[in-house]
Amino acid sequence: MKSGGLHPIYKILFYAILVIWGLSVLYPLLWTLLDALKNNDQFFRKMPWSLPDVPLLWSNFTYVWSEFSFDKYFVNSVVVTIGSTLLGLFLAASTAYVLARYPFKGSNVLYLIYIASMMIPFSLALIPLFFLLNSMHLTNSSFGLILVYASTLIAFGVFVLVGFFKSLPKELEEAAAIDGASYFGIFFRVMLPLSQPGLITVGIVNVLNIWNEYIIGTILVNDPDHYTLPVGIAMMQAQMQYRTEWGPLFAGLLITMVPVLVVYMFFQRQIASGITAGAIK
Amino acid sequence: MRLGTTKWQRSLFIAAFILPTFLFFCLFTIYPVVQAMYYSLFDWSGSSDNKTFIGLDNFKEMIHDPIIWNAMGNDYFLVVGKIIGIMILATFFAVALTRFRFRLSNFFRSIFFIPNVISVVVIGVLWNFIYNPQIGFLNAFLSLFTKEKVDITWLGFTSHTIWMLLPPAIWAGIGFYMILLIAAIQGIPESYYEASSLEGAGQWAQFRHITLPLIWEQMKVSILNIMMTTLNGSFVIVMIMTNGGPDNSTQVMGSYLYQMAFSQYHFGYGAAIGVLILIVSLITTVVLQRLMRQETIEIS
Repeated sequence: MKSGGLHPIYKILFYAILVIWGLSVLYPLLWTLLDALKNNDQFFRKMPWSLPDVPLLWSNFTYVWSEFSFDKYFVNSVVVTIGSTLLGLFLAASTAYVLARYPFKGSNVLYLIYIASMMIPFSLALIPLFFLLNSMHLTNSSFGLILVYASTLIAFGVFVLVGFFKSLPKELEEAAAIDGASYFGIFFRVMLPLSQPGLITVGIVNVLNIWNEYIIGTILVNDPDHYTLPVGIAMMQAQMQYRTEWGPLFAGLLITMVPVLVVYMFFQRQIASGITAGAIK
Repeated sequence: MRLGTTKWQRSLFIAAFILPTFLFFCLFTIYPVVQAMYYSLFDWSGSSDNKTFIGLDNFKEMIHDPIIWNAMGNDYFLVVGKIIGIMILATFFAVALTRFRFRLSNFFRSIFFIPNVISVVVIGVLWNFIYNPQIGFLNAFLSLFTKEKVDITWLGFTSHTIWMLLPPAIWAGIGFYMILLIAAIQGIPESYYEASSLEGAGQWAQFRHITLPLIWEQMKVSILNIMMTTLNGSFVIVMIMTNGGPDNSTQVMGSYLYQMAFSQYHFGYGAAIGVLILIVSLITTVVLQRLMRQETIEIS
């Protein structure tokens, strides 16, 4: 089919809109990199879009990394993101498997509870969560963050994975059962490997969400030693009122962004399918 | 089959796989939500000896709190602005990248989604720099056309500053809904379009009579989703960009909750704001669903 009766003028106009929007997305990434290589003087003397002077100030990166403790924030973010994603995935997958394959009295109600919880505004839970974690002595700790983040992943994970387990053929499980595998054996040796695509989809969506999460991180952590990257960025920006260091701030932004951009490049398809799966609720 | 032989083995397995998750979920999600409703009935500064039951007084106080009303207005402003902005652009992009067969369509699709994988904190800081009065993009750009240097404090007006938060919110939100609508459009059988082309229907007629009715279901989901995520989550960008200021003029319900609870230690009042957010989003969901009730056409 030809490109269906679209007048050339519209075609050019529409294409121009796409290009402009594309630039509006790509340019900020480029300028973050360029501005991460400038010193304050260049920010105030020159235009924001001007190129950084040579020699480029790569030292801004080492500066935020060691002086602003982004090394710690980075490690904290990695630990919290991986820990909570693995824990959340396990909790969601086990429940989803039973709900999909071994319905019991009340299993439908349980499923509905998980689904309905996705409708509840999370801001409602912020205050009690703070006091709960405080009473458990789990504020200012990466472990506390992992627990809370993992719990926020359960509902979405159950929702997507129940659908996924239901779509898998039953024959393999039956064959394994005849071979004498236990319930647990079937799950861990047969179903988990088979459900890898579903687990990866849910996992990647969760990794992005947790890596970028700010509000829970800022409420549960006051100790800079346990900040995650988004909290560190926000704190750095707040300090800018007293000492302006734009170059290092942009370096910090880049350190925060690059990992998710890399994950996105590799897992685009899974992210897209995670979105479409999650939105049909 | 051996699986059915011992019933208790099956029950044990079910319990072992259901209970840990459920208990975990109860402790960290259900319990806090119930607890929030309970806290909303107290005047409470955070310490245990300073907690007095006051019934619904927090809610009565809200009625006379001008900031709450302003915050709710801002929330709805963002909801309406984002629904209009995101739906128009996301639908346009989705149609353009599927039906118009432009070159580089897949490339554009990948690019447009990028803001959705970046933290709202990063997006807020980037847009703060765009709006920065001394060294920001916007003023520098406008200065190209004026004799004197423009130095507008974009985020400093007590009225209309909330408008400034709309572009970043829309910019950051589009990709997600575009992907959703692209999937919907790709689910429409090509034969529908071929048949209508034979009858001489142009792109606009095809959009109006084929695409739009068949993706209406996903558009409804998108609109509801924008509403819910905005009422529940827009406060992060507010906190990063304006912190509710100047003079509380850009406060939204979530940021006001945070400020009341964690800066001013009115935890009871903060919890009550949380309950308000819950009620408001439930009511808005019902109202929106009624408004959008229209025959949806299923592809058989």
